[in-house]
Amino acid sequence: MTTDVGLIRSAAPNYALDLSIWTVLKWTVAICVAIVAVFPIVWMVNVVFAEPGVPVSINPRLLPTSLSAGIAKINTILSETGYLHAYYISITYSLLTIAGVLLFGSMAAFEFALFEFPGKRPMFAIVMLSLMVPTAVTLIPTYLLTANLGWLNTMQGLVVPGLASAFGLFMLIQFMRTIPREMIEAARLDGASHFQIYRHIALPMSRNALVTLAILTFMQTWGNFIWPLIVAPSPQMYTVGQVVGLFNAPFSHVTVDIVMAANLLAALPPLIFFLLFQRKIVEGIAMSGSKG
Amino acid sequence: MLDKKHVPHLLMVFPFLALFAVFFLYPIVSGFVYSFYDWNATTTSRFVGLANYQRVIHSRDFSKAMWNLGSYIVITVPVGIAVAFCLALLVESFKGFWQNFFRSIFFMPVVLPMFLAATIWRWIYTPNIGLLNTIRGLFGLPSVQFLNDTSTMLYSLIAVDIWVSAGFNMVIILAGMKNIPRHYYEAARLDGASKLQEILYITIPMLYPVLFFVTTYGVISALQVFDTPWLLTGSSFSQYGGRQNALLFPVMDMMGRGFGELKFGQAAAYGFILTTVIVSVTAVMFALRKKGHQP
Repeated sequence: MTTDVGLIRSAAPNYALDLSIWTVLKWTVAICVAIVAVFPIVWMVNVVFAEPGVPVSINPRLLPTSLSAGIAKINTILSETGYLHAYYISITYSLLTIAGVLLFGSMAAFEFALFEFPGKRPMFAIVMLSLMVPTAVTLIPTYLLTANLGWLNTMQGLVVPGLASAFGLFMLIQFMRTIPREMIEAARLDGASHFQIYRHIALPMSRNALVTLAILTFMQTWGNFIWPLIVAPSPQMYTVGQVVGLFNAPFSHVTVDIVMAANLLAALPPLIFFLLFQRKIVEGIAMSGSKG
Repeated sequence: MLDKKHVPHLLMVFPFLALFAVFFLYPIVSGFVYSFYDWNATTTSRFVGLANYQRVIHSRDFSKAMWNLGSYIVITVPVGIAVAFCLALLVESFKGFWQNFFRSIFFMPVVLPMFLAATIWRWIYTPNIGLLNTIRGLFGLPSVQFLNDTSTMLYSLIAVDIWVSAGFNMVIILAGMKNIPRHYYEAARLDGASKLQEILYITIPMLYPVLFFVTTYGVISALQVFDTPWLLTGSSFSQYGGRQNALLFPVMDMMGRGFGELKFGQAAAYGFILTTVIVSVTAVMFALRKKGHQP
């Protein structure tokens, strides 16, 4: 098989024919991979939107068959389980985490990126070193600390320990470094206070980085499984991830279509976010990777 | 002493650093202390020296988990990166709209929370009625217990893992490919280099830092694998790891000791053993990289 585009281009007579074989091959592979990538997601949707009783996996279909059956299943889940409450918990957890990470991260990044002050270098070095410490080592002591504070099964227990995001700080510092010093000096000459410079110059100018960090934080918080599992084990504080975990448990005695309806509801927010912000998400990940 | 003009700066960094100190630095230190104490739920804590470390290292679950982890990493990291690299080449060969289209589609699995991907795949793997076994049935092949047969369990996990992570690595590799100057390829083409030669002698060497990052990051996160094997097996503190502990991994073992058996001292010691492993592996990788840079 020649995938030899360089040579094909120099061999003029066969050009059209060989190139089209290459093109067909390329498209075939790309479409096959695309199917593998989205198929489990499509399958999940199909299982939900199908008449109950017929196990879809026995009779795989390409398209959803029954809208009303799907809506009925989703209704069952919303009314008969604590799903809506879990949604509320997960959304609150995500929003508070985003707000905290952005606020505290941007305040610290503003200083680290643009000013000199005593202790800056050692503080910065310690925070950056923490990027290399695995979560495994902090997980259990952080849990014990949260328990000692009496924060088990509370919203602050979920949120607060995750707010000092070294990754977020690093990303914002990289971005704020590009803010021109002259702007800050000019604002200072105009009588702006230090906090006003942060609020009216640094924040608006790093809007892109803040949006990207907010999206990445959302994805991460929504998908966080291990921390809610240990710190909020009471059903009153179940996140969406834990509810899905319950449906998944071996003796839960629910049918596959109900499980998939629960999964679909959990997948919707990140999927919608992805469709809306896909460019920002992909660029954010590419940026964090290439700078790492 | 403290100059008055520094006060606003310190006030601004204070909230972050205070949270960081309390919820990151303090847990590390206290975890280190806990790891020397016996901490059963029934007894009061007492100093036991290195006993926790010894108990962890000499336990059968530990060697099983480490063995599983080794076999898992040796396959999942190289195969995962090879897949991601091929996907990046494939996406890069498209132009304009279709490039964005395929990039987004291939990236889609990354967006799903890990707990969802694992749950969906668990059903796809179900014996007899699961999707994969239904397809095998169409070809007259017998049903396979993907998640309950010790010879397939590890590979079933790796397949899910690559399905989830390939898009992530692909996006990073693609960003690296965009930074390779066009004229390198043009010059190579003038010299009559084939596409394969271009990839071997330009793309891969130029991507070296990116591939290094993706590999290091992949190894570090693979060493801490938890969500997927947890959800593909029993997914509770009383039951995890699957048949014959074929999918038992260190973080799961650590969590089980902590929250299943309430042996927090052992769990803390486990965390430090694992950290030592992670830091050493990372250090070796960085050392190899330095060596690789010298001609």
